[in-house]
Amino acid sequence: MRELTFIEAIREAYIQEMKLDESVFLVGQDIRGSIFPHTEGLVQQFGEDRIVDTPLAESGMYGLAFGAAQEGLRPVVDFMFGGFTYVTFSEVSITTGQYHFLHGSQQALPLVITAAVGTGMRLANDHAMSVHSTFCHHPGIKVVMPSTPYDAKGLMAAAIRDNNPVVIPWHLGLMMERGHVPEEDYIIPLGTAEVKREGTDITVLANSVQLKNALEVAAKLEGEISVEVIDPRSFEPFDMDTLLKSLEKTNRLVIVDEDWENCGFAGTVSARVVEQGFDLLDAPIIRVTTPNMPIPGGYMENYVAPNPERIEAAIREVCA
Amino acid sequence: MALSKKQMITLFTNLVRADRFDKMFYARMLQGKLIGFYHPGEGAIAPGVAAASFLNDDDNLSPHHRAHGMAHNLSKGIDLKYYLAEHTGKETGCCKGRSAFHFSFPEKKVYMMSGFIGYNFAPVVGWGFAAKRRGQKQVVMNCSGDGSYGQGRAHESMLFAKTMNLPIIYWCENNGMAIHSSIEDMHPTKDISSLAKGFDMPAIIVDGQDVFACAEVALKAIKRARDGKGPTFVECKTLRFKEHDMGTKDLKGYRARKAEELDPMREREPVLLATKRVLKDGILTQTQIDAIGAKADEEVAAAEKFADESEIATPTVEELMAAVYAPNA
Repeated sequence: MRELTFIEAIREAYIQEMKLDESVFLVGQDIRGSIFPHTEGLVQQFGEDRIVDTPLAESGMYGLAFGAAQEGLRPVVDFMFGGFTYVTFSEVSITTGQYHFLHGSQQALPLVITAAVGTGMRLANDHAMSVHSTFCHHPGIKVVMPSTPYDAKGLMAAAIRDNNPVVIPWHLGLMMERGHVPEEDYIIPLGTAEVKREGTDITVLANSVQLKNALEVAAKLEGEISVEVIDPRSFEPFDMDTLLKSLEKTNRLVIVDEDWENCGFAGTVSARVVEQGFDLLDAPIIRVTTPNMPIPGGYMENYVAPNPERIEAAIREVCA
Repeated sequence: MALSKKQMITLFTNLVRADRFDKMFYARMLQGKLIGFYHPGEGAIAPGVAAASFLNDDDNLSPHHRAHGMAHNLSKGIDLKYYLAEHTGKETGCCKGRSAFHFSFPEKKVYMMSGFIGYNFAPVVGWGFAAKRRGQKQVVMNCSGDGSYGQGRAHESMLFAKTMNLPIIYWCENNGMAIHSSIEDMHPTKDISSLAKGFDMPAIIVDGQDVFACAEVALKAIKRARDGKGPTFVECKTLRFKEHDMGTKDLKGYRARKAEELDPMREREPVLLATKRVLKDGILTQTQIDAIGAKADEEVAAAEKFADESEIATPTVEELMAAVYAPNA
């Protein structure tokens, strides 16, 4: 089986989709020279018209993508780091999310917003923050996040083919992870979660790099607590059915999410479970998230992000 | 470039139509027959007519928000009855009655409106990029006011347009007022177009009360963009007779605008000036002018009838939820 790194899988999705569809192009800052390796060598292959470098001005850069999508092109706009989307936030959140609906559902807005996110490089808040919960808060925008090289290629391809704005952040901690990636063209439909490990005692919902941590804890607890691990893969739309089906079996839930706790994805899922599956629960839900403080840089970063120890403690508490 | 008689008649007709639509919206707002708010256009309708009257259907247009872009949109060939229906919450509205005051006529390349002043500066970059990439000589007419040039995205947009040689016209309708604030208090130079120097972009200043003068400049800028010569900045010096938004105070800074300031403006009302000109130049007779006015009144009445007879949009929440995302084939 052929293996690629996570970042090579994203690159392969770009190449696959750009070959399939002339209207697909990439725009970002220094993507020709490739700050991250997912755009390595693409300008040589596809030319400057399709691998577009812009001035360091996010509103102009995103405006280029947004306007081009209205004109029928299919841009992928790379913000480099997720926090940088905030520089042009009225455009990426409100103007983008409302465009189709508020203007009478006359025109699709097919564009992809991507960026690196996450702790691990000790770069502090502005580079390390997660952005998926914030985008989920804004109606009209789909939000997905891959956790494996296989999903990275399949979700990116699906995002590019979708007729709506899709935000697809990728976690820096996964960049060099290796895994099976088929050479052929495939997509992972947006809105489908995956049961990554079956179990009977408790369900752990974990995404991106935290999925890795959750699987590590589940393996460690084998024989003691049987942990079912689910990767949402898609936050909006969210696959509630897969989660509820799992809870019918386990009746216990821990949600792991590197985004902040307050008004975050984990809180929203907790509320939905209480609304739609309260009778399935034998114990309170626990969230393992980043506490509400600006993410510190340097060695203090380890204090805030979820980690295997915090996940294990939460599982034990819910199962106690 | 001198305007032809036919072009002058088009401009005059669109100016009269824009004036009548503006006055109808103003009256309806007072009567409680318009949803939301209205930013009256009186005094400031000539630049929009000039900017949009000679664009092709496949040229992009982003209208100024004053008079809710009606001068621009009717000049682009858009039937405003669908906009009035939108502004009255009807299901026949251009946005299916969902948007209060937004417009969207994608078949005429008028995509959107936003409540954020200066929002236009971001998407015009993409429209210009797409036009250049297609190589079919479409242009982008990007209209907004003096206040909008305070936005950082205005500067980013000009940076992109010049750097990438995009066919965008930065059409600034400078009425010297941003809500209540005056340009003297909020901008360091007399002319907004002085910003263009920093981007090595040609700039033209024109009398924004003179629809014909504005159109001559628009045609020049449009030709330049079509010929692949890149962006042009046009500053139309115009006037605002009324308050920013109906029902708010008519202030300059925090002091009420005075009659001695407003009265002389009336002498420079654009329909008045245009009428004098077409009569003087023998372009139209008074009888023809009266006929244009009567036809505009009929159009306005028909739009009102259409909107008033349309049903109020009352979809279910489920139907609305299903409209949030575009379908995938």
